[in-house]
Amino acid sequence: MDTIPAHLLAAAPMAAKLTLIAPEILLFAGSVVVAVLGLSRATAMRRAVPFVTALFLAASIVVTALVYRSGAVAESGLLLPALGGYAKALIAAIAIPLVMVVGSSIDRKLEEAFETGRAPFDPIRTMRGEYFAFFLLSIAGTMLIANASDLIWLFLALELASLPTYVMVAVSRGTRRAQEAAVKYFFLGALSAATFLYGFALLYGATGTLELGPMRDALAQQAAAGALPTLAIVGGVLAILGIAFKLAAVPMHFYAPDVYEGAGAGTTAFLGIMPKIAGVLALMVLLSVFGWSGHGVMEAGQYIAVDGLPLPLSAVLWMVAVLTMVLGNIGALLQRNVKRMLAYSSIAQSGYLLMGVIAGPKAGFDAVLFYLLGYGVMNTAVFAVLASLERNGEEVETLDDLAGLRLRHPVLAWMLAISAVSLIGMPPLIGFFGKLALFSAALEAGQTALVIIAAVNSAIGAYYYLQLVAVPMLGQPTARTESVQTVPSAWPRFAAIICGVGVAVLPVVLPQLFDAASSATPEAARPVRANIDADGAAPSPATVSAGSTTDEVPDAKQAG
Amino acid sequence: MHELARSLTQSFPTLLGADEPASIARAIEGADLGWAGLILIFPAVSAILCGLCAILKVKGKLPGAITAVSLLAAFVVTFLLYWNCPTDAPRTIHLFDWISFDWLTGPGAEPSAWRAFSAPFALYIDSLTLLWMLFVTGLGTLIAIYATEYMEGDVGKGYARFFGSVSIFLFAMGSLVMGGNLILLYLGWEGVGLASYLLIGYHYSKPSAVAAAKKAFIMNRIGDLGLALAIFLIWWNYDTVSYDALFAAVAAEPAAGASEWSKAAIPFCLMLGAFGKSAQIPLYVWLPDAMEGPTPVSALIHAATMVTAGLYLIARLFPLFELHPLALPTVAWIGCATALLAATIGMAQYDIKRVMAYSTVSQLGYMFLGLGVGTTFGAVYHVFTHAFFKALLFLCCGAIMHGMAGQLDLRKMSGLRNVPGFRIISWTFLVGCLCLAGFPFTAGFFSKDSIIAEAFVSDVPGASALGFLALFTAFLTAYYTFRVWFRVCGGPVKYEPGDEIHGHGDDDHGHDHGHDHGHDHGHGQAHGHGHGHGHGHSHGHGEWHPHGPRLAINGVLLLICVGALLAAVPSYLQMSGQPNWVQTMVTNSSAIAGASGHHGADGSHALSFTGIEDVHKATSVVASVVGVGGILVALFFHLLNRGAADRLRAALLSNGLTRWLPLLMENKWYVDEAYHIVVRAPARGIGHLLYLIDKLFIDGFVVNGAARVPAEVGRLFQPLYNGALQGYAATMAGGVALIAAWIFWVWLSGG
Repeated sequence: MDTIPAHLLAAAPMAAKLTLIAPEILLFAGSVVVAVLGLSRATAMRRAVPFVTALFLAASIVVTALVYRSGAVAESGLLLPALGGYAKALIAAIAIPLVMVVGSSIDRKLEEAFETGRAPFDPIRTMRGEYFAFFLLSIAGTMLIANASDLIWLFLALELASLPTYVMVAVSRGTRRAQEAAVKYFFLGALSAATFLYGFALLYGATGTLELGPMRDALAQQAAAGALPTLAIVGGVLAILGIAFKLAAVPMHFYAPDVYEGAGAGTTAFLGIMPKIAGVLALMVLLSVFGWSGHGVMEAGQYIAVDGLPLPLSAVLWMVAVLTMVLGNIGALLQRNVKRMLAYSSIAQSGYLLMGVIAGPKAGFDAVLFYLLGYGVMNTAVFAVLASLERNGEEVETLDDLAGLRLRHPVLAWMLAISAVSLIGMPPLIGFFGKLALFSAALEAGQTALVIIAAVNSAIGAYYYLQLVAVPMLGQPTARTESVQTVPSAWPRFAAIICGVGVAVLPVVLPQLFDAASSATPEAARPVRANIDADGAAPSPATVSAGSTTDEVPDAKQAG
Repeated sequence: MHELARSLTQSFPTLLGADEPASIARAIEGADLGWAGLILIFPAVSAILCGLCAILKVKGKLPGAITAVSLLAAFVVTFLLYWNCPTDAPRTIHLFDWISFDWLTGPGAEPSAWRAFSAPFALYIDSLTLLWMLFVTGLGTLIAIYATEYMEGDVGKGYARFFGSVSIFLFAMGSLVMGGNLILLYLGWEGVGLASYLLIGYHYSKPSAVAAAKKAFIMNRIGDLGLALAIFLIWWNYDTVSYDALFAAVAAEPAAGASEWSKAAIPFCLMLGAFGKSAQIPLYVWLPDAMEGPTPVSALIHAATMVTAGLYLIARLFPLFELHPLALPTVAWIGCATALLAATIGMAQYDIKRVMAYSTVSQLGYMFLGLGVGTTFGAVYHVFTHAFFKALLFLCCGAIMHGMAGQLDLRKMSGLRNVPGFRIISWTFLVGCLCLAGFPFTAGFFSKDSIIAEAFVSDVPGASALGFLALFTAFLTAYYTFRVWFRVCGGPVKYEPGDEIHGHGDDDHGHDHGHDHGHDHGHGQAHGHGHGHGHGHSHGHGEWHPHGPRLAINGVLLLICVGALLAAVPSYLQMSGQPNWVQTMVTNSSAIAGASGHHGADGSHALSFTGIEDVHKATSVVASVVGVGGILVALFFHLLNRGAADRLRAALLSNGLTRWLPLLMENKWYVDEAYHIVVRAPARGIGHLLYLIDKLFIDGFVVNGAARVPAEVGRLFQPLYNGALQGYAATMAGGVALIAAWIFWVWLSGG
């Protein structure tokens, strides 16, 4: 090779960054295509919109695989360079069945009217194109989070993931309740954005940089010199709490039941998983500036690096996790409305996810990423069943509508039952292995109390999840359920079967899935300690690796 | 990720993946024999296909055909394995990694003390395994063919369920016999228990069948507990559950590793398991009741194969039974006592299937006696011959029952050998009876004699008593066997149908309709014993005619009959100076270890009064006399002078000194009743007490109280979720503020 021109060398990080976001660029292009297609006068074109959407998603999986196999990852300079490979594939893979679930439900009545000639074709009134365009945009935003290299990027990616969902909720079904839900979602989302933006601002103030890498180094230096500045801690707390909105975690969980109930079932399925992935990714990326293992404390004149977050931040996460599990599960107990119940249950699930985040990159990240896959499949299966059914043209909402479902739609009933059982965490379904990974990761990180609380909560959760098994399987049909029937489109049922079977079959390739999840957090992803220079002496390797669990984090006050 | 999760994922069968290098090295010897796994795969696939047939509601004999073909395939593979696999030394065929754990013991900082538990899915193939699998798959195939015709009344309803369970049974039995470690054995052990439970309770609408299934299952649980404890103790003491490593550990240094008490506990716990599965005292009571299942099942599972699993366990783990000096004598005495007790009960039963069931218990007792006195060859040979002739006897009973609409009472059938369509049954039945009775130069004669002869010369305490008891039992066996044959097949032609004219499992009719109905095929015999059976008659059986079996049943009867006769061939070869095939098979396996050490020190034996020096010859002569004597007694009482039997019974009953004998025998020595009083009643009492405590205190107070807490707390928070946007926003902002303040005050203010 000849010498490489200097300007190319300088551009290398940017080029690497752009290579890494090739899947997102593809999805952007897809959203434009879909938006235009949706306005077409030809019914076939409009009908093709979901298929095109799915096609772009599938292509983005391929592109992700290609990009992350190339050397671009190593040059990206990201704190968690490999995270995107698994995360993007996961996001796109889960999005495909979600497209099936939503599929033809958008604009269904309008299209019928067009077809029967009751209404003349009017591109202004069609929503399908824009729904799926926004769908792809939100997916792209979620993917971009994994690649965030600075706080601006992270903020924009979070907003790109959020803003389309407000529109999606509003148009997901033609009722006022959907619009009410969208408005609530929008305003509360804005509140949360304000919260984490404030947190980001404080972090900038504490470190003087927006780039995550230098910020991590600055924080590590400050920690090595004494303690983390108050500004950075408060900034971190506010950022965590703001991002908690995406996860529907306490105290930002209030919107979830209303929004889930108001949105159409397919969109609820989307809300049940995609914002959670976004939130988890954002937490992972953001919290890596606090170093996980890169920060440390001074004790007896010696610098000791520890795994895990600074104590205040992990305490906040711990409390949020516990409250989220408890309040989510308790809330779900009282519900007869299935979508509200699932909303509360998804709050509780966020608590479990946070448990893995607390466990940190070494033990917990791969468990969380793996759990997200399982949760995505189970969640989609449950909502796909709901989306497959209607009563007098309206979605089925209450448990009473599902009574005796087995007798009339045995396959749907079985899929619902198997997903609910998996959500409880029963072996040998995927949910069991997800929970096993999370719980054992938390145990490894020394979070015994958290695991006990989570286990108790799982038991409480079994009560309401089992209703999703008992009512359809054992309940007797009533006059009310007589009018429950399947929707005309077979796609939601198809999605229910794919995901329901996946719940049972995926454990067969369990080792491969675990490996894929682990590959997203390789050793290289952990911050280097090169910049730490306390009192001019570089730390010896022995002292750096002395601590291994968060238990050993001495109180920050002593350190100061 | 955490080690636990890692290792659990690894425990998932990675059928598609490549083997670990280490396991390849371990299995290098048997690597080319991986196709032996087909023996297990065929029945497993068949079970799945039968399940699919049941789901798809297939009408027709497809499930039967699937099962018969896959069992035949399994038999062929077994035979090829026997042909290709040198049987001089055991070999382990590693199929795939199954369960594999390792973990650090002791406090974390200690230098690594790894312990491992590994149970690969491996087959342990030696001559004992092959012998067992040959007759299991061979008989399984024949009986499946027989069942395709026998079960035809249930086509559509339970046909697929029946054959699915049979396939499960064959899979489990294969895993039990061929498994390379105790965990696979346990898997098979529980699997055959499950299949047995499913098949005994096949007519699940019949309360007696359900009760019998539960009884079998629960009795077996007691035995299984023993086996589970034994496996745990073995692993605890020897650090392995694989046979090859285990035998090496036991042989290398019998004292190493194992503590004194576990050396006593291991064989006795294993024994408990064996006694449960093989129906020995005190756990034998389930087997006679198991005859509620369809007859092919009784033949396959409850006579020929599954009930010999206990024998297999002891034969396979024979080295472990030499750990404690009292272990084998206990086996011998329990076996002998069971043989005698079951024979006395069998003498007084009227249901021919039940007679056969008790004779099974009795013959199993013989086999345990054989193991106990150290002649593993005799025991295994008896297992082998018994499998054939007892399967034959059961299939004959089944064919009679099939043709006679469920009739099994030997007082209500007579002279079947002259009824058209029943001739093949009668004569094959006779062959089976001759074998069972130990008639000279039949298979049963040779195998039984080798046990009795060894009993006389063994050094087990009370050896000659064992021998004489065994001889006496042989006499009783000959008597009750031919009691059945002379009653059912001999004499004048007389029969009346059973209560299944309206179809199988239709039990409602028999009991209520009285005995005083007129009947066409009536006979004058009084029936005074209404114990248990329904003897009623269905309406309108005037036009009823017995129907003889067709090709499948007759063909299988003839084939097994030939098998039962051929089973004697090894002994003829032995007499002509060639090695006995079965003996060779046993000698080359783990079952032989140290067995020769049990011969009595001096050559003198209890049968020296016959004047024959060789104990085997002496036993042959005495046993022949005893067997023929038993047949002659039966001939007198049950063919020539049938009234005499009843008169004898009446005489015994009228005498105050002797009336206990027929009463005890007919009522099965009141063992069930004793168990009821000693075990079941107290257990029920305790159960009721615990139920009350649970209901009032635990459920009522603790559980319901705890369950109410979350719901009440939830109600407390309900007002927060009022749907108003402002409220939500305020609460969320408040929450953020609270948490931020908390962090600030607790961690940061002091800093």
